[in-house]
Amino acid sequence: MESALTPVHPEGTVYGQVLEASVPLRYTTTEAEYEAIRGRAAVLDLGGSRLVQVRGSSAGDFLQRVLARDVEYLTSERSTTSLILDETGAIVDQVVVWGREDGAILESSCGAGTRLIEYLRSQNADEVEIVDRSDELTVIAVEGPYSWGVIGRLIDSELAALPLDSVVDTQWDGADILFGRTGSSGEYGYKVVAAHETAKKLWTQACEHAVPAGQDVLELAMLEVRQPVVRHEAPAGTGVLEVGAGWLVDITKESFVGRDAVLAAFAEQSGPRTIGFRGGDAVPAPGTRVLAAGQDIGEVVHAVYSVGLGAALGLARVESDLAAAGLDLTAGDAEIETLTSPYVSPKSWSIPIV
Amino acid sequence: MTIDELRARAGERKQTCAQIKKMIVSRLDLPIEPEWISDDQPLFGRGLELDSLDVLELYVAIEAEFGVALYDSDMSVFGSVSRLADSVNPALRTAQAAVA
Repeated sequence: MESALTPVHPEGTVYGQVLEASVPLRYTTTEAEYEAIRGRAAVLDLGGSRLVQVRGSSAGDFLQRVLARDVEYLTSERSTTSLILDETGAIVDQVVVWGREDGAILESSCGAGTRLIEYLRSQNADEVEIVDRSDELTVIAVEGPYSWGVIGRLIDSELAALPLDSVVDTQWDGADILFGRTGSSGEYGYKVVAAHETAKKLWTQACEHAVPAGQDVLELAMLEVRQPVVRHEAPAGTGVLEVGAGWLVDITKESFVGRDAVLAAFAEQSGPRTIGFRGGDAVPAPGTRVLAAGQDIGEVVHAVYSVGLGAALGLARVESDLAAAGLDLTAGDAEIETLTSPYVSPKSWSIPIV
Repeated sequence: MTIDELRARAGERKQTCAQIKKMIVSRLDLPIEPEWISDDQPLFGRGLELDSLDVLELYVAIEAEFGVALYDSDMSVFGSVSRLADSVNPALRTAQAAVA
């Protein structure tokens, strides 16, 4: 799968494979793109995500059953972010759910769209219509502490001040678009779902006001605010509590696929838990053993170099009674310190939208 | 540190976090068990979905429960339960939290 925006990406874009998708990893340098998303505004091509329309008379019931968050009252003016679980409580995907009058559009995580569609179809006893719209629609995001200014110049300043998770059907350049205030970096964030040709024009104009940023920086920004990146944190069979993603599950909801398994795991309160860490001169590989006072207590799940911290930043899955911030441990040969989340505080938390 | 000392240090943070979670659930009348809230989940936006009125309620609750006034703190104090624990129990404070 290749992004519809590939023809309008800047020269020199570095691409890489993320599961089924070939995506832009970097357009320039990680440092420049990081400075944009944390300091100003970045524009992101999310064409590695599939857009899956679920519609039909039973769509509401179907979505309520397969999504771990409550979408009973999700209108066409709202979105939400939810996990999708299998019967064992393992994470299938994390999706953005765009409410629609006749159901919803599910935005898969990067590169996981086909797997998501297969799973949805396997659960489709309600005979709802499940349509991959990715051949006609794509997603562009603008995120950063001043992204509201970019949206104001590019689309409409009133849209920039929408409450979080609001969705508006509107027009841009004479074409219908779906606009939402949503994001994943912890900074102010907005997304536009548009037809491919419209998206190409929008991308080109957005690049005049914001810095294009690739998947590398987006995933780093997500990690820094503990927004799960499913492909790194939840290999097949990994449960919600292990990942620490209970907040993407509405456990008070009466019924959804995987609920019984999650409740059973919650009652047991056993098994490893995930904790963030920093330290070391090199970035430890997944699987690197984590030691406490010389004793093996778990392993590194995912780690990268954090521009914001100026150090390796990662997640480790360790014995639950040692999954706490403020501990000096080792990962391989490196000394590491466990951290409180968020690991980097978003600038947007201290900047008003004006 | 020995493994037992590390477990004790982790236990102290978990105890403070548990106290904070109980306070949040009780004061904001949330329909969940306190243990369902993880130490690292966001409290605002998509996390626990708290809003500015909830923050005011928490300011009062934290002062009553822990004797700590956070009225002039920046919002990063509420970044997560674990981050809040650094503020209400200074003994837990990490180098990272001090910089933030």
